[in-house]
Amino acid sequence: MAKSIKIVLAGEGGQGVQAVAEIIAEAANEEGREALYIPNFGVEQRGGVSVAFVQISDEPIGSPKFETGDIVVALSDRAIYRTKQYVGPQTTFVYDSGIEGINGALPRNAAKVVGIPAIEVAKNELHPRVFNIIIMGAVVGATGVISKEEAETAIEKKLGYKFEKQPDLRDLNFKAIQRGIELVSKVS
Amino acid sequence: MPSKPIQDEKRVFMTGNEVVAWAALAARADIMYGYPITPQNEIMHYWTRLAPKHDKKFLQTEDELSAGFTTIGGVLAGFKAFTATAGPGNTLMQEPMSMAEMMRLPTVVVVQQRGGPSTATVIYSQQEVMLTTFGGNGEGLRIVYSTANHQELFDYTIKAFNSAWKYRFPTFVLGDGYQAKMREPLTIYDPLDKNIELVKPEPYVGKPGTPAIDRPPTQLRNTFSMEEELFEALQEIIGDYEKVAPEIAEYQSFGTEDADLVIIAHGVVSRAARLAVKEMQENGLKVGYFRPITLRPMPVKEIQEIASRVKRFLVVESAYGQLARLLKEAAYRSTAEMVPLYKPGVGVTAEEVVKKAKEILS
Repeated sequence: MAKSIKIVLAGEGGQGVQAVAEIIAEAANEEGREALYIPNFGVEQRGGVSVAFVQISDEPIGSPKFETGDIVVALSDRAIYRTKQYVGPQTTFVYDSGIEGINGALPRNAAKVVGIPAIEVAKNELHPRVFNIIIMGAVVGATGVISKEEAETAIEKKLGYKFEKQPDLRDLNFKAIQRGIELVSKVS
Repeated sequence: MPSKPIQDEKRVFMTGNEVVAWAALAARADIMYGYPITPQNEIMHYWTRLAPKHDKKFLQTEDELSAGFTTIGGVLAGFKAFTATAGPGNTLMQEPMSMAEMMRLPTVVVVQQRGGPSTATVIYSQQEVMLTTFGGNGEGLRIVYSTANHQELFDYTIKAFNSAWKYRFPTFVLGDGYQAKMREPLTIYDPLDKNIELVKPEPYVGKPGTPAIDRPPTQLRNTFSMEEELFEALQEIIGDYEKVAPEIAEYQSFGTEDADLVIIAHGVVSRAARLAVKEMQENGLKVGYFRPITLRPMPVKEIQEIASRVKRFLVVESAYGQLARLLKEAAYRSTAEMVPLYKPGVGVTAEEVVKKAKEILS
């Protein structure tokens, strides 16, 4: 099978997992790699867990969805239950360590289970609005699927128009990437 | 003078629905008629954004019956007209499309398959194969392209307009919810920059001159009072269809020469089949790959040729044997076994295909 990195991101609506998935996939595409991103979608208009599937590869990508991810990120209690099916023996499972009441719910068959305090860091250290960028940093740190610089370029491309009005936002976002990378490197 | 739709060839990263809108623009489509249904809604969303900038039109209708019939109206008036639908909407669409079949009208319909039967899921399937190839009361006198990736979605949407107006049969681009909603890279271009000829539309009604004196009369009939009349009309249409079918039929294939097993899939599932075959070939297994691109007409000659020398096929689809039914008809007289891997309404991965193929070969 062509070597590709498979990523699952899941969270509550509004946590920004789809935006992160899209930015990562677009960044890889900008680097000339094969990239495919597909959101899950159902009949519900709101509510429900939001799941994003991303694949990055040097060769043509097969089916848009896949059985198990190389990295599975779950950002809420429901997301943890929802994404268990995508966890296998090769999977790094990342969840937010601030989620309560999940004792025994974490997957037992993963290669690695990593809890990171992303919600806490966003709230107390940076700003809640960059929570998903911290998660993006965590994905970048855990997979190396794109470099930190490429991640920054992608964010600049996506949010540059906001940075022009509020230059502090750029710093905030870049810090968030950096913190996300640190959070996963500390535990692994 | 309408502006040039795509200035320079460029690599883009977008959803399949957006790709279809750009392709219709590139094909110089004049008007889209549409009624919303997931997962194809964004085709008309993007079209309505692009259309005013390029002097194109859009009409939202009250349902899919109306979307289909207004598409026919657009075609009769000499416009490159199209619509898009899915699932239960595709069911309703069959009524107008059988009229297009009877009258030889070059309508273009983009279908993004969702789960069935009935409302089922809004997500994905390959369960609209029978409906799109043989739907309606009729004989399946239509052209159906089944795409596998965004580049093809772009290329074949342009081609659909060309084939429709060249051969004058209703033409379908058969995608699915995955292709509709996923983002992946492709290159968009203006076909004229690539010397791809765009077949010009022409009006069916309101032509200048006196009928039968200055020009042959236009006869547009979908009603016949005598059965013999209908029979005669159908003989001609069927004859025309059979004549051009081999020229329209398209397929992809590799490694079938000395294969112990050939894997057959269409559309988005063929991506998984292709990867699976490549991997097994690298491991020394004699496995081949065949994919019909046109599901109507089928590449009959090629299927018969392979079926005459290969003992076993593995037919993989996100439906319960709809592709297999078309294949069995095409391969009639062959004794090749067709082993199923049917997953109605869900995706199929390369890993599953490899597993099943190895089971068969062991």
